[in-house]
Amino acid sequence: MSFQIPLQAQLNNNHTIRKHVLLGITGQDFTLIAASKAAMRGATVLKAADDKTRQLNKHTLMAFSGEAGDTIQFAEYIQANAQLYSMRNGIDLSPSAVANFVRGELASSLRSRKPYNVNLLLGGVDPITLKPSLYWMDYLASLAPLPYAAHGYAQYYCLSILDKHHHPDINYEQGIKILRMCTDELKRRLPIDFKGMLVKVITKDGIREVDYDDSARIDCP
Amino acid sequence: MDTLVAQYSQPMFEKENHGEDDQMELYQPAPSLSLKFAMPPVAQPSAWLRAATDDHANPNCPIKIAHGTTTLAFRFQGGIIVATDSRATAGNWIASQTVKKVIEINSCLLGTMAGGAADCQYWLAYLGMQCRLHELRHKRRISVAAASKILANLVYSYKGMGLSMGTMCAGVTPSEGPALYYIDSDGTRLAGNLFCVGSGQTFAYGVLDAEYRYDLTEQEALELGSRSILAATHRDAYSGGFINLYHVKEDGWVKHGFSDTNPIFWKTKLEKGEFSNVTSEMV
Amino acid sequence: MSRRYDSRTTIFSPEGRLYQVEYALEAISHAGTALGILAKDGIVLAAERKVTSKLLEQDTSAEKLYILNDNMICAVAGMTADANILINYARQAAQKYLLTYNEDIPCEQLVRRLCDLKQGYTQHGGLRPFGVSFIYAGYDPQRQFQLYQSNPSGNYGGWKATSVGANNASAQSLLKQDYKEDCDLKEACGMAVKVLSKTMDSTKLSSEKIEFATVGKTKDGRIYHHLWGADEITALLKEHNLARDESGLDGDQKIV
Repeated sequence: MSFQIPLQAQLNNNHTIRKHVLLGITGQDFTLIAASKAAMRGATVLKAADDKTRQLNKHTLMAFSGEAGDTIQFAEYIQANAQLYSMRNGIDLSPSAVANFVRGELASSLRSRKPYNVNLLLGGVDPITLKPSLYWMDYLASLAPLPYAAHGYAQYYCLSILDKHHHPDINYEQGIKILRMCTDELKRRLPIDFKGMLVKVITKDGIREVDYDDSARIDCP
Repeated sequence: MDTLVAQYSQPMFEKENHGEDDQMELYQPAPSLSLKFAMPPVAQPSAWLRAATDDHANPNCPIKIAHGTTTLAFRFQGGIIVATDSRATAGNWIASQTVKKVIEINSCLLGTMAGGAADCQYWLAYLGMQCRLHELRHKRRISVAAASKILANLVYSYKGMGLSMGTMCAGVTPSEGPALYYIDSDGTRLAGNLFCVGSGQTFAYGVLDAEYRYDLTEQEALELGSRSILAATHRDAYSGGFINLYHVKEDGWVKHGFSDTNPIFWKTKLEKGEFSNVTSEMV
Repeated sequence: MSRRYDSRTTIFSPEGRLYQVEYALEAISHAGTALGILAKDGIVLAAERKVTSKLLEQDTSAEKLYILNDNMICAVAGMTADANILINYARQAAQKYLLTYNEDIPCEQLVRRLCDLKQGYTQHGGLRPFGVSFIYAGYDPQRQFQLYQSNPSGNYGGWKATSVGANNASAQSLLKQDYKEDCDLKEACGMAVKVLSKTMDSTKLSSEKIEFATVGKTKDGRIYHHLWGADEITALLKEHNLARDESGLDGDQKIV
């Protein structure tokens, strides 16, 4: 008898997972997190207004994609731990501390019998230094702080746009404009309907949802 | 024994057959100029080829086909921009950084290469020959539509046998004006305004789509084409080397250099502040 | 009467006291004085070192001041052996936090971790409380420079200036007298050495008899902690005219 599971089960390469869009952009005093609104299973869209984010504390937001079930279980486990820390210590964990904590949890889960299969973006603004930050983490628990980041197929289309148009000192309006370029490109070139994007912004004052209209139809030139 | 030899050996050259219907050249599935491929002596050539070349399924496969590339072409008010990188890879190995992926078919027609390097080189050279023959036979240059159709029909006749090509034909003729076609080894042939082909295509699409307009000026169009290749060489490991840039105008194509991406990258980063994810300072 | 209650840490006496904890506090009140002063740009910790023998190698064993973490140091009064256990625990706790969150543990959290441990020994049976009081000096981005004190009961508190060990009552009143809200680190060092000179038995100080440490900020904003060397202490003593005359034997020396 063996508890060994085939490596295949640990791979995060099925197409449904990669069809989910996660995007993150930092600016001079904010971090934008955008996640596609479609909840998909196989060839079916189960829900068109899904929120793939969780607020961890006042200044940290986590967006996730990956294996159905794992995503929410893991996100809410992290959320509970971040909130427990805040209650115990009367102070929130900084975004960087949260990111490293999450990395540790995911890394130890990875070596367990049944690892969480999730990809994450963590956006935050440090409540003391007021510096915005964005952390990219994949299901193998590799963590990278980045000025902009994406998960899934979105990486292939959006990173080159962000390479060209992103600057660290952009303001909120410029950030939304670049995000719009990215989502338009996805609508233009991705052969699936991800039902638009849910966009949230983190500033020193906390987290709020952005009224993001993406009803416009975008065609190939 | 003789029957076996007869079955598997094929003459190197067939007799040339002139005088057929001129239009037939477009529909002939096999090349008429004695370029018939010798097929491997196995029941399923494509399966055999896959077993020997599929380095994704089998990293130790005996033949590694050069695959990675970024090529793009787009139409705009001033003609067509064609741009490619210059890297050839075989598996993880960078086989060359100075490959010419634009083939100058004639003074008004360009072809781009993506996919199997050998397939592309061989069949685009063949296409060049057919185009020249068409010119000699008809006393006028071949249309882009016709040239692309020759290639499409050719690759379709080999469908399922393991060809791997993604090409674009860009050209200008008095009858069509600037015309752009996409042809791949599945047999797809599409006319269009804008295509990117290769492993870096998505990255090029990202930059190109974001700022593409039909009424781009010549300078803007050249800059956008070159910047899109740069984007792909930055993000796609299988693209890199030099940016090969062409502009197809009313009276033929003009070459705009074969430029090393490395200094262009640092210039773009340091002067325009782009690529802000690259944090190391260049001292 | 008290025999029934003072042999067990875990049992209250009829007057509501935990004798073992009080005995531990008593043990500390015989230890060398340690004090800490919070300045606007740093913290100074100073401690009296009881020279037991001329044969003791002085510079190989720090007795009173320890580094807990990159952002925190402490001064000890009480049983050094007990202190070693707690310091080891604190260092491990700080490293574990660093490993989990990739940032330094906030000062109060580290103090609380230690005090939770100390408290446990006043409640669980069969064990003796730690006979140690600490003064902690540290920095974190949330609350900047901080000074804490804790005792064997597991109580702790934040202070502007405080002292533990022998003569701590008089040290405390001297600090209360001399403390200025907005003093800088240099002034605080002067005050520390003056208070120590008055509470210690010997009139003239020397680098063998005291330990000194500071936590501060470098010009480029980095936090440093520094355990002073003998020459630095001597220089400070000279500056404040408290140094023993190096040329000959002074009164202290003859008594020992």
